[in-house]
Amino acid sequence: MAKLKIDRQASDNTYLHKDFHSALNTGLEYLETHYSEQAVRDYLRQFTLAWYAPLTKSLREKGLSVLREHYERIFALEGGVAEFHETPDDLQIDVHENPAVTHMRAQKIAISPLFVETVRTVGKTLCENTPFDAELLHYDETTGRYTQRFYRRGL
Amino acid sequence: MISCTEFIPAYSELFRFLETRDGEKAVTGFWEYISDHFLNNLRELVKEHGIKGCWLYWNRTLNEEAADFTMELDEDAGEFRITMHHCPSKGRLLTMTHIRPYPEYCLHCDILYRRVLEPLGYTYEFDSSRIDQAACSIIVRRKDT
Repeated sequence: MAKLKIDRQASDNTYLHKDFHSALNTGLEYLETHYSEQAVRDYLRQFTLAWYAPLTKSLREKGLSVLREHYERIFALEGGVAEFHETPDDLQIDVHENPAVTHMRAQKIAISPLFVETVRTVGKTLCENTPFDAELLHYDETTGRYTQRFYRRGL
Repeated sequence: MISCTEFIPAYSELFRFLETRDGEKAVTGFWEYISDHFLNNLRELVKEHGIKGCWLYWNRTLNEEAADFTMELDEDAGEFRITMHHCPSKGRLLTMTHIRPYPEYCLHCDILYRRVLEPLGYTYEFDSSRIDQAACSIIVRRKDT
Protein backbone atom coordinates (compact mmCIF):
# COMPACT_ATOMS: atom_id res chain seq x y z
CA MET A 1 0.00 0.00 0.00
CA ALA A 2 1.40 3.35 -1.03
CA LYS A 3 2.67 6.09 1.20
CA LEU A 4 3.28 9.11 -1.00
CA LYS A 5 4.13 12.75 -0.52
CA ILE A 6 4.81 15.56 -2.95
CA ASP A 7 5.62 19.23 -2.52
CA ARG A 8 5.01 21.61 -5.39
CA GLN A 9 5.55 25.30 -5.81
CA ALA A 10 3.57 27.40 -8.26
CA SER A 11 6.73 27.95 -10.31
CA ASP A 12 7.07 24.19 -10.90
CA ASN A 13 4.17 24.19 -13.38
CA THR A 14 2.48 26.30 -16.04
CA TYR A 15 -1.01 27.52 -15.21
CA LEU A 16 -3.12 25.83 -17.87
CA HIS A 17 -5.99 23.68 -16.61
CA LYS A 18 -8.12 23.05 -19.66
CA ASP A 19 -10.82 21.24 -17.69
CA PHE A 20 -11.91 24.76 -16.74
CA HIS A 21 -13.42 25.00 -20.24
CA SER A 22 -15.58 22.01 -19.35
CA ALA A 23 -16.51 23.56 -16.01
CA LEU A 24 -17.62 26.75 -17.75
CA ASN A 25 -19.62 24.62 -20.19
CA THR A 26 -21.34 22.96 -17.21
CA GLY A 27 -22.14 26.39 -15.80
CA LEU A 28 -23.79 27.48 -19.05
CA GLU A 29 -25.72 24.22 -19.21
CA TYR A 30 -26.95 24.83 -15.64
CA LEU A 31 -28.09 28.36 -16.41
CA GLU A 32 -29.94 27.22 -19.51
CA THR A 33 -31.73 24.31 -17.86
CA HIS A 34 -32.51 26.01 -14.52
CA TYR A 35 -33.18 29.50 -15.85
CA SER A 36 -33.23 30.26 -19.58
CA GLU A 37 -31.14 30.82 -22.68
CA GLN A 38 -31.32 34.53 -21.94
CA ALA A 39 -29.80 33.90 -18.49
CA VAL A 40 -26.73 32.48 -20.23
CA ARG A 41 -26.36 35.66 -22.28
CA ASP A 42 -27.06 37.88 -19.28
CA TYR A 43 -24.41 36.10 -17.22
CA LEU A 44 -21.79 36.29 -19.98
CA ARG A 45 -22.55 39.98 -20.46
CA GLN A 46 -22.18 40.62 -16.71
CA PHE A 47 -18.90 38.68 -16.64
CA THR A 48 -17.56 40.51 -19.69
CA LEU A 49 -18.46 43.95 -18.35
CA ALA A 50 -16.67 43.16 -15.10
CA TRP A 51 -13.66 41.10 -16.11
CA TYR A 52 -12.82 42.71 -19.43
CA ALA A 53 -13.42 46.31 -18.32
CA PRO A 54 -9.71 47.20 -18.75
CA LEU A 55 -9.69 45.58 -22.21
CA THR A 56 -12.76 47.55 -23.27
CA LYS A 57 -11.15 50.74 -21.96
CA SER A 58 -8.04 50.01 -24.04
CA LEU A 59 -10.19 49.22 -27.08
CA ARG A 60 -11.87 52.61 -26.72
CA GLU A 61 -8.53 54.40 -26.34
CA LYS A 62 -6.23 52.50 -28.69
CA GLY A 63 -8.42 50.69 -31.19
CA LEU A 64 -8.70 47.16 -32.50
CA SER A 65 -5.04 46.25 -32.11
CA VAL A 66 -5.65 45.59 -28.39
CA LEU A 67 -8.21 42.91 -29.26
CA ARG A 68 -5.78 41.36 -31.70
CA GLU A 69 -3.07 41.27 -29.04
CA HIS A 70 -5.49 39.84 -26.48
CA TYR A 71 -6.69 37.02 -28.70
CA GLU A 72 -3.24 36.30 -30.13
CA ARG A 73 -2.00 35.81 -26.58
CA ILE A 74 -4.88 33.49 -25.65
CA PHE A 75 -4.60 31.32 -28.73
CA ALA A 76 -0.82 31.05 -28.37
CA LEU A 77 -1.16 30.13 -24.70
CA GLU A 78 -3.78 27.46 -25.32
CA GLY A 79 -2.34 26.05 -28.52
CA GLY A 80 -5.18 27.22 -30.73
CA VAL A 81 -4.85 28.14 -34.38
CA ALA A 82 -6.21 31.48 -35.56
CA GLU A 83 -5.58 33.97 -38.35
CA PHE A 84 -5.92 37.69 -37.84
CA HIS A 85 -6.75 40.20 -40.57
CA GLU A 86 -6.56 43.73 -39.27
CA THR A 87 -7.07 47.24 -40.58
CA PRO A 88 -7.59 50.34 -38.37
CA ASP A 89 -11.36 49.89 -38.73
CA ASP A 90 -11.75 46.15 -38.99
CA LEU A 91 -10.41 43.01 -37.33
CA GLN A 92 -11.42 39.59 -38.58
CA ILE A 93 -10.42 36.52 -36.59
CA ASP A 94 -10.59 33.15 -38.33
CA VAL A 95 -10.30 30.43 -35.70
CA HIS A 96 -9.24 27.16 -37.27
CA GLU A 97 -8.72 25.29 -34.02
CA ASN A 98 -10.72 26.27 -30.97
CA PRO A 99 -8.82 25.05 -27.88
CA ALA A 100 -11.90 24.99 -25.65
CA VAL A 101 -14.03 22.89 -28.00
CA THR A 102 -11.10 20.69 -29.00
CA HIS A 103 -10.40 19.89 -25.35
CA MET A 104 -14.03 19.13 -24.51
CA ARG A 105 -14.44 16.92 -27.56
CA ALA A 106 -11.32 14.99 -26.60
CA GLN A 107 -12.81 14.50 -23.12
CA LYS A 108 -16.14 13.40 -24.70
CA ILE A 109 -17.95 16.27 -22.96
CA ALA A 110 -21.39 17.15 -24.34
CA ILE A 111 -20.97 20.75 -25.42
CA SER A 112 -23.75 23.19 -24.60
CA PRO A 113 -25.44 24.57 -27.74
CA LEU A 114 -25.00 27.96 -26.06
CA PHE A 115 -21.22 27.65 -25.78
CA VAL A 116 -21.16 29.79 -28.93
CA GLU A 117 -22.21 32.69 -26.69
CA THR A 118 -18.74 32.68 -25.11
CA VAL A 119 -17.73 34.10 -28.49
CA ARG A 120 -20.81 36.04 -29.67
CA THR A 121 -22.03 37.65 -26.44
CA VAL A 122 -18.53 38.24 -25.13
CA GLY A 123 -17.49 39.89 -28.41
CA LYS A 124 -20.56 42.15 -28.58
CA THR A 125 -20.24 43.13 -24.93
CA LEU A 126 -16.53 43.91 -25.24
CA CYS A 127 -17.51 46.60 -27.74
CA GLU A 128 -20.17 48.28 -25.60
CA ASN A 129 -19.42 51.98 -25.09
CA THR A 130 -16.69 51.92 -27.72
CA PRO A 131 -16.74 53.06 -31.36
CA PHE A 132 -16.70 49.38 -32.38
CA ASP A 133 -19.10 46.48 -32.75
CA ALA A 134 -18.76 42.74 -33.27
CA GLU A 135 -20.49 40.09 -35.32
CA LEU A 136 -20.08 36.36 -35.51
CA LEU A 137 -19.93 35.47 -39.19
CA HIS A 138 -19.64 31.72 -38.81
CA TYR A 139 -19.54 29.17 -36.00
CA ASP A 140 -19.27 25.41 -36.40
CA GLU A 141 -20.86 23.83 -33.35
CA THR A 142 -19.07 20.53 -33.90
CA THR A 143 -15.50 21.79 -34.18
CA GLY A 144 -15.81 25.23 -32.60
CA ARG A 145 -14.20 26.83 -35.65
CA TYR A 146 -15.46 30.34 -36.14
CA THR A 147 -15.03 33.68 -37.85
CA GLN A 148 -15.63 36.79 -35.81
CA ARG A 149 -15.43 40.36 -37.03
CA PHE A 150 -14.88 43.49 -34.98
CA TYR A 151 -15.47 46.72 -36.88
CA ARG A 152 -15.90 50.45 -36.45
CA ARG A 153 -19.57 51.39 -36.27
CA GLY A 154 -21.11 53.45 -39.05
CA LEU A 155 -18.73 52.42 -41.81
CA MET B 1 -13.34 32.85 -26.62
CA ILE B 2 -12.80 32.85 -22.90
CA SER B 3 -9.43 31.36 -21.97
CA CYS B 4 -9.25 28.65 -19.33
CA THR B 5 -6.83 31.00 -17.57
CA GLU B 6 -9.77 33.39 -17.11
CA PHE B 7 -12.08 30.79 -15.64
CA ILE B 8 -11.65 31.75 -11.98
CA PRO B 9 -13.11 35.25 -12.39
CA ALA B 10 -15.78 33.72 -14.68
CA TYR B 11 -16.69 31.24 -11.95
CA SER B 12 -16.68 33.93 -9.25
CA GLU B 13 -18.93 36.10 -11.38
CA LEU B 14 -21.29 33.16 -12.01
CA PHE B 15 -21.71 32.69 -8.25
CA ARG B 16 -22.51 36.39 -7.93
CA PHE B 17 -24.96 36.22 -10.84
CA LEU B 18 -26.82 33.31 -9.25
CA GLU B 19 -26.92 34.92 -5.82
CA THR B 20 -28.27 38.17 -7.25
CA ARG B 21 -31.05 36.28 -9.03
CA ASP B 22 -32.08 33.78 -6.38
CA GLY B 23 -30.04 34.18 -3.21
CA GLU B 24 -27.43 31.96 -1.57
CA LYS B 25 -29.47 28.79 -2.10
CA ALA B 26 -29.08 29.22 -5.85
CA VAL B 27 -25.30 29.23 -5.48
CA THR B 28 -25.35 26.15 -3.25
CA GLY B 29 -27.68 24.45 -5.72
CA PHE B 30 -25.22 25.12 -8.50
CA TRP B 31 -22.33 23.70 -6.49
CA GLU B 32 -24.35 20.54 -5.88
CA TYR B 33 -25.09 20.32 -9.58
CA ILE B 34 -21.40 20.70 -10.44
CA SER B 35 -20.54 18.00 -7.93
CA ASP B 36 -23.12 15.62 -9.35
CA HIS B 37 -22.50 16.32 -13.03
CA PHE B 38 -18.90 17.45 -13.37
CA LEU B 39 -16.89 15.53 -10.78
CA ASN B 40 -17.50 12.07 -12.22
CA ASN B 41 -13.76 11.72 -12.83
CA LEU B 42 -13.04 12.01 -9.08
CA ARG B 43 -15.97 9.75 -8.27
CA GLU B 44 -14.83 7.03 -10.69
CA LEU B 45 -11.19 7.22 -9.59
CA VAL B 46 -12.13 6.74 -5.93
CA LYS B 47 -14.52 3.91 -6.78
CA GLU B 48 -11.76 2.16 -8.72
CA HIS B 49 -8.68 2.93 -6.61
CA GLY B 50 -10.06 3.69 -3.17
CA ILE B 51 -8.43 6.60 -1.36
CA LYS B 52 -5.57 6.56 -3.88
CA GLY B 53 -8.15 7.88 -6.34
CA CYS B 54 -7.95 11.20 -4.47
CA TRP B 55 -4.21 11.29 -5.11
CA LEU B 56 -4.68 10.50 -8.79
CA TYR B 57 -7.35 13.17 -9.21
CA TRP B 58 -5.67 16.06 -7.39
CA ASN B 59 -2.19 15.18 -8.64
CA ARG B 60 -3.35 16.17 -12.11
CA THR B 61 -5.60 19.11 -11.31
CA LEU B 62 -3.33 20.86 -8.81
CA ASN B 63 -0.29 20.55 -11.06
CA GLU B 64 -2.24 21.92 -14.03
CA GLU B 65 -3.45 24.76 -11.82
CA ALA B 66 0.15 25.50 -10.78
CA ALA B 67 -0.75 25.34 -7.11
CA ASP B 68 1.69 25.67 -4.23
CA PHE B 69 0.87 22.63 -2.12
CA THR B 70 1.90 19.54 -0.21
CA MET B 71 -0.05 16.37 -0.90
CA GLU B 72 0.20 13.21 1.22
CA LEU B 73 -1.31 9.77 0.87
CA ASP B 74 -1.15 6.96 3.41
CA GLU B 75 -3.14 4.07 2.01
CA ASP B 76 -2.63 1.84 5.05
CA ALA B 77 -3.98 4.54 7.33
CA GLY B 78 -6.71 5.36 4.79
CA GLU B 79 -5.80 9.04 4.82
CA PHE B 80 -5.24 11.64 2.12
CA ARG B 81 -4.26 15.20 2.87
CA ILE B 82 -3.72 18.40 0.86
CA THR B 83 -2.06 21.36 2.52
CA MET B 84 -2.61 24.27 0.19
CA HIS B 85 0.10 26.80 0.88
CA HIS B 86 -1.15 29.12 -1.83
CA CYS B 87 -4.31 28.39 -3.80
CA PRO B 88 -3.95 29.64 -7.38
CA SER B 89 -7.67 30.38 -7.65
CA LYS B 90 -8.12 32.28 -4.41
CA GLY B 91 -4.71 33.85 -4.88
CA ARG B 92 -5.81 35.27 -8.22
CA LEU B 93 -9.04 36.60 -6.78
CA LEU B 94 -7.22 38.30 -3.93
CA THR B 95 -4.90 40.14 -6.30
CA MET B 96 -7.52 41.26 -8.81
CA THR B 97 -8.18 44.93 -8.37
CA HIS B 98 -10.88 45.65 -10.94
CA ILE B 99 -13.41 42.98 -9.96
CA ARG B 100 -14.98 42.15 -6.61
CA PRO B 101 -14.60 38.42 -5.92
CA TYR B 102 -17.58 36.45 -4.68
CA PRO B 103 -17.08 36.58 -0.90
CA GLU B 104 -17.89 32.91 -0.25
CA TYR B 105 -15.90 31.68 -3.22
CA CYS B 106 -13.91 29.07 -1.29
CA LEU B 107 -16.98 27.32 0.12
CA HIS B 108 -17.47 25.51 -3.19
CA CYS B 109 -14.43 23.37 -2.35
CA ASP B 110 -16.19 22.16 0.77
CA ILE B 111 -19.50 21.29 -0.87
CA LEU B 112 -18.26 19.88 -4.20
CA TYR B 113 -15.84 17.29 -2.86
CA ARG B 114 -17.70 16.39 0.33
CA ARG B 115 -20.71 15.51 -1.78
CA VAL B 116 -18.63 13.08 -3.86
CA LEU B 117 -16.55 11.49 -1.10
CA GLU B 118 -18.92 11.01 1.85
CA PRO B 119 -21.35 8.72 -0.02
CA LEU B 120 -18.33 6.60 -1.03
CA GLY B 121 -17.42 5.95 2.62
CA TYR B 122 -14.99 8.75 3.45
CA THR B 123 -14.97 11.70 5.81
CA TYR B 124 -14.00 15.08 4.44
CA GLU B 125 -12.53 17.89 6.51
CA PHE B 126 -12.02 21.32 4.99
CA ASP B 127 -10.12 23.92 6.99
CA SER B 128 -10.96 27.34 5.59
CA SER B 129 -9.55 29.35 8.49
CA ARG B 130 -6.74 30.87 6.38
CA ILE B 131 -8.51 31.49 3.09
CA ASP B 132 -7.84 35.21 3.48
CA GLN B 133 -4.21 34.21 2.75
CA ALA B 134 -5.25 31.83 -0.08
CA ALA B 135 -4.34 28.89 2.17
CA CYS B 136 -6.48 25.95 3.25
CA SER B 137 -6.31 22.22 3.84
CA ILE B 138 -8.41 19.13 3.26
CA ILE B 139 -8.19 15.74 4.92
CA VAL B 140 -10.00 12.71 3.51
CA ARG B 141 -10.23 9.60 5.70
CA ARG B 142 -11.70 6.18 5.11
CA LYS B 143 -14.58 5.83 7.57
CA ASP B 144 -13.36 2.46 8.89
CA THR B 145 -10.04 3.96 10.06
